[in-house]
Amino acid sequence: MMPHTSLICFLASYLLAFALEMVHFRRASRWGRWGGLACAAAGLLAQTWYLLNRGHQANLPPLLASTHDWMLVVAWLVMLVYLVLAVWNSRLNLGVFVYPLVLLLIGVAYKLDQVPNTALYVAQARRSWGLLHASLLVFGVVAAAAGCLSALMYLLQHRRLKTSHAERQGFQMPSLPRLAAANRWAFLLSFLLLTLGYASGLLLSFSAPSAGSTVELSEPIVILSGLVWLLLAGALGWLLARRGSAGRQVAWLTIVGLGGVLLTIFGLQLVTGHLHRGGRTAARVDVDTQVQP
Amino acid sequence: MNLQVVYCSHRASGLALRERLAFSKTQIPQAYAALKHAFPRAECVLLSTCNRVEVYTAQEDAQQIPGHQDLARFFSEFHQLPVHEFFDDLLERSGPDVVRHLFQVAASLDSMVLGEPQIVAQVKEAYTLAQQHAASGPLTNALFQRALGVAKRVRTETGLAEGRVSIASVAVGEFGRRIFDRFDDKTVLVIGAGEMAVEAVRYLQDEGARQIWVCNRTLDRALDLAQEWGGQVRPFERLDEWLAQADVIVSTTGAEPCLVPRDRFRLARQKGAYKPVFVLDLGVPRDFDPSIRDLDDNVFLYCIDDLQAICERNRRARQREVDRALTIIDQEVDRLMGELHHQATGPIIRRLREQWRQVVDQETRRLFQRLPHLEKDRADIERSIEQMVNKLLHPPLEALRDEAREGTPHGLLDALRRLFRLSDG
Repeated sequence: MMPHTSLICFLASYLLAFALEMVHFRRASRWGRWGGLACAAAGLLAQTWYLLNRGHQANLPPLLASTHDWMLVVAWLVMLVYLVLAVWNSRLNLGVFVYPLVLLLIGVAYKLDQVPNTALYVAQARRSWGLLHASLLVFGVVAAAAGCLSALMYLLQHRRLKTSHAERQGFQMPSLPRLAAANRWAFLLSFLLLTLGYASGLLLSFSAPSAGSTVELSEPIVILSGLVWLLLAGALGWLLARRGSAGRQVAWLTIVGLGGVLLTIFGLQLVTGHLHRGGRTAARVDVDTQVQP
Repeated sequence: MNLQVVYCSHRASGLALRERLAFSKTQIPQAYAALKHAFPRAECVLLSTCNRVEVYTAQEDAQQIPGHQDLARFFSEFHQLPVHEFFDDLLERSGPDVVRHLFQVAASLDSMVLGEPQIVAQVKEAYTLAQQHAASGPLTNALFQRALGVAKRVRTETGLAEGRVSIASVAVGEFGRRIFDRFDDKTVLVIGAGEMAVEAVRYLQDEGARQIWVCNRTLDRALDLAQEWGGQVRPFERLDEWLAQADVIVSTTGAEPCLVPRDRFRLARQKGAYKPVFVLDLGVPRDFDPSIRDLDDNVFLYCIDDLQAICERNRRARQREVDRALTIIDQEVDRLMGELHHQATGPIIRRLREQWRQVVDQETRRLFQRLPHLEKDRADIERSIEQMVNKLLHPPLEALRDEAREGTPHGLLDALRRLFRLSDG
């Protein structure tokens, strides 16, 4: 299989689905909506195949295969959640928000290091810890993305209701209480998963130097993640202390807090091209044996 | 095949006349009995709503079909009204125009509020009642069943029923349901007793609102409304308390000076712990100071101008869908008329085939009696004869089908009857 061909294949499917969603947004059409969902489902299928194939080539689960694959798993999960929600309630128009995020994730993934982390996960014990660490972070990032999207929708819905603008045909968002609840839960879940993810990463770093750990605590991702975690903890404390606070404040807080997490993780990866410097160094040692993209 | 409708509707007649010509539910059985007595061979369906009174009649042959004057007489005798008082308001359509008219009525193109959904249910009920009174028949069955299908097609394929067009429905549907997830745990405060409040409360109750407080300067009117809605009366003098406690406020007093100025509402907000409140100010002039919407994030205020603008926009959007709906209706009219005309040729085609089949059976029986050695090839011979018959019948039947697309081919049917000596029985 040609990896780039497949990436372009599902990227094109999502682009087409996004275009159909925008047509539906401009003028409500049942065919446009279901056509868009069919394209998205086809894209998801192609992406699944692509990830499995990459994992098979690197002999690692997609979450560990490379930073590129890790990012695509995030996009895959966001897309899966979106499709389930879209089929469950066909009147909601989440696609307008979800597709740009998914396309951005795929775009970032395209730019990232595609060299497999084979050397980083030579030891089996390290591989299991690594899988736990990567999974927790992936789910935490997906929850953070969900939180940001629900917060953005809350702000748009709130603005519409405050300014007495009618709903656009073909563009329905959930009610304010639902969005506020989704916002809070996404924030809590994201914080919990990211905390566990960071903790498992630290444990992995401390416990396995003998197993060939090349990840250092002085790495920018580790330091910045720690700072963002402190910011999130502060925001969570504020949220819990002011349970009756207005949904709009919570929405802004979510966008700043969780948006900060996403920016840190994606921005750093985009700047440095990888998640852990050590992983890349270790992989470079064995680069001749790796699958080139 | 003859179709006819005699009707008066909101487009040409006033409400006073429509009320006099309407058939109440209790009058419907008598009306059908009278129609059957007067026109025993005709199929009839009565459609009586607040916007229209229509009598559809249909019959295979043109003889004895009730005419415009016959039905005017029926209205006159049934309602004890002199014919001259309403004859000019009574309109008539026949043939394909009847089909087009009913399709337009069922699709809500002829309604006072374009695209309103109640008319489909009313057409369906009228048809069901006609069936129950054994007044409908094959033609009206085909007509009304197709009309209900067309209404559904127009609803799903166009945006004619999209968007709300009444002030109360816009307020509750477009805004209320997005501010609150549910209304069964919300307190609705109604200030004043205007008609719009009645409609708004009806929508809120449809959404599940149970706790309704009525606050009015006139206690008697408040008691009446509270009883009607299953709510409670609250003294007008303690309005500030109710403002603080309510989740939904519907106000229609139109009092001058403004009933709830900014400072008064700010105090109520402080007492109410700034919980979300949905305020529907339907009073003219306004009951609430418009600046209260900026007091905090959880105040959602809508005045009549905001809502009317949305209603108007939705009405215009529906209007833009009319052409698409009319195209669908034209297609469906052609389709139904073609099917009905085709049905009219069915008995003749059947008799022609039966007659030829009898001739074939007689002749083949005679052939095999005379030439028994052909018995072993019987199947092949019978198949050949069958093919010959089909080929011979094909041109005349094809011509009949072609003619039937334009209307019942009376001339051709008559020619076939005479040429092949086909009886009507």
